[in-house]
Amino acid sequence: MIATPPVASGPAPSAIASRPDRPVVLSCQGIERSFGGLRALKGVSLEVREGEILGLVGPNGSGKTTMVNVVTGFYPPQGGRITLYGDDVTGLAPHRVAQRRVARTFQNLALFKGMSVLDNILIGRHVHMRPSALGALFYWWWAEREELAHRRVVEDVIEFMQLQDIRDEPVEVIPLGLQKRVELARALVSEPRFLILDEPMAGMNQEEKEYIARFILDAREARGVTILIIEHHMDVVTAICDHVVVLSYGEIIAEGPPAEAIAHPSVVSAYLGERAAKRQRGGAAA
Amino acid sequence: MFYRRAGLRHTRYQDERQLFPLAFDRGLVLTVLAFLIAAPLLLDRLWLTGYLLPWLIWTSAALGLNLLMGWAGQIHLGYGAVMGIGAYAGVHLVRFGVPLEIAMIAGGIMSAGIGTVFGAAALRMKGIYLAMATLAMQFIVDFVISHNAAISGGTLATLQVPAVRFLGVPLTSDWATYYFALFVCFVITLFMLNVKRTSFGRALAALREKDYAAQILGVSTFRYKLMAFWVSSFIGGVVGTVLAVAYLRAVSPDQFHLELSIQILAMIIVGGLGSVLGPFFGTALILFAPIVLNNLLGSVAATFGLDLPIDMRAHLPLLAYGLLVIGFLLYEPLGLAKLYANFRNYMLVWPFRHAQR
Repeated sequence: MIATPPVASGPAPSAIASRPDRPVVLSCQGIERSFGGLRALKGVSLEVREGEILGLVGPNGSGKTTMVNVVTGFYPPQGGRITLYGDDVTGLAPHRVAQRRVARTFQNLALFKGMSVLDNILIGRHVHMRPSALGALFYWWWAEREELAHRRVVEDVIEFMQLQDIRDEPVEVIPLGLQKRVELARALVSEPRFLILDEPMAGMNQEEKEYIARFILDAREARGVTILIIEHHMDVVTAICDHVVVLSYGEIIAEGPPAEAIAHPSVVSAYLGERAAKRQRGGAAA
Repeated sequence: MFYRRAGLRHTRYQDERQLFPLAFDRGLVLTVLAFLIAAPLLLDRLWLTGYLLPWLIWTSAALGLNLLMGWAGQIHLGYGAVMGIGAYAGVHLVRFGVPLEIAMIAGGIMSAGIGTVFGAAALRMKGIYLAMATLAMQFIVDFVISHNAAISGGTLATLQVPAVRFLGVPLTSDWATYYFALFVCFVITLFMLNVKRTSFGRALAALREKDYAAQILGVSTFRYKLMAFWVSSFIGGVVGTVLAVAYLRAVSPDQFHLELSIQILAMIIVGGLGSVLGPFFGTALILFAPIVLNNLLGSVAATFGLDLPIDMRAHLPLLAYGLLVIGFLLYEPLGLAKLYANFRNYMLVWPFRHAQR
């Protein structure tokens, strides 16, 4: 289904083998973050390499979303250091992080109600535009050319995400699966180098999940985006991720290629309890 | 029916993004504009200066407040004070002999500067707390204006506006002041329509709906909240000057009290938040409903020979007007503009209602 000749289609073993060679996109070292007495992140260190899809998984409340919020500047870390393409971005405000061509989607949809799908996606171009009140006042001499140029980019992404039919619909009336796709389109239209997806498939049926998985893979192939994805559907994680980091209670408990990381005994016990982990170990011995 | 979308085949983005893509809408707007331009020939003096002129001026102000409340989602209860600052700054400059065109802009900048300082509260506060902060602005500005003889000329003083010219035309005749107000209203309306379809307006709307999502798309909340206050207060200041020069002709502190702020707030809420059309409807309702209701009551009392006590005749229209506003808030919170949009959507596919999406 991937149109462009793939360099590495899907989770090829070569991707894992070559992991150390690729340049580091995001590097987090010893990230600390507490909310009152709760230590949500206890010295988490992780690296995302260029061109890979990194899966961040873990049980509910393990600190995945907190981690992403720390990286994107919503919660400045209380300890540790974050670098993006080698630049220190620790504690930078979200809009400054966005200017470094990082985009993200949210776990609970964060589309702008009362606007059309098209306008929602157009906002994604904000970092590339120069909005001003005077531009609006002198629209025909000032803003129109810019608007139309960016509209062209937006239309490319609309076509890529197959949203042509619903372009003019108000965003709140379309089904959830499509809303998630609009949010992904809005993130992609800013031409990010690094894309963070927070549960892009939550609440979706099998078909919608497969669609989104396809779009994520295509985005990587066609646009060269590096992706960090938080996801609960383990079938998806094993299918599309190159590397998986498992969090539990704010600590990394396992890391590695998807199948191995997920089968790690500490991961099994974190998800299913100690007994299940023991049974698995017993089964493996027998 | 009239609003036909069938047969429209836009082949360029600018055709699709034009202000009124439907031919009927364009015709309607041009008809209304033609009527407004021909109004001095068609209407007598009372209608022109008693109804149309205040309607245009208050609509301009409501549009300015709508940018802040409807687009950027920041509540403001001190818009009357913002207009007052502009009016006093403008009138003082005009009295010094500064041309009106420059005095208007200077009044706008003065309002924008002070309005943005108070608007900075919005960086820390939201909703009801911001309402209190802007209310404080209203009272502080009222106090400073009336207690500062250099500004108001004394607590009970009024400041006369001298004879002024706009673009070389002396604003002495009724039609000259009318066209002056129409021009200002036209420019502000055009600006608001364009804000709706540019990145500036989208950034403000994004801030209103989900500020965290707007931030990660690169919209700086700091910058855009202050920009919203700046632009909205600038419009308020300019309209304040226009109000003083074209309508009041003499300014006194009590003209810019809380009543004016609440009146303009009511106009955009009844008209429709975040709509360009809304303020036009809302202003008409708020300004003229009491008058119409009063006349209605008078004629009803005359026909049925009712002998209403004088205080009842004075209060009943106000009662009905209050009920009208509450009714709108209850049954159509998005205001008169939404009612019109519903009607338009219905007529788009009439009589084939099943075709409605």
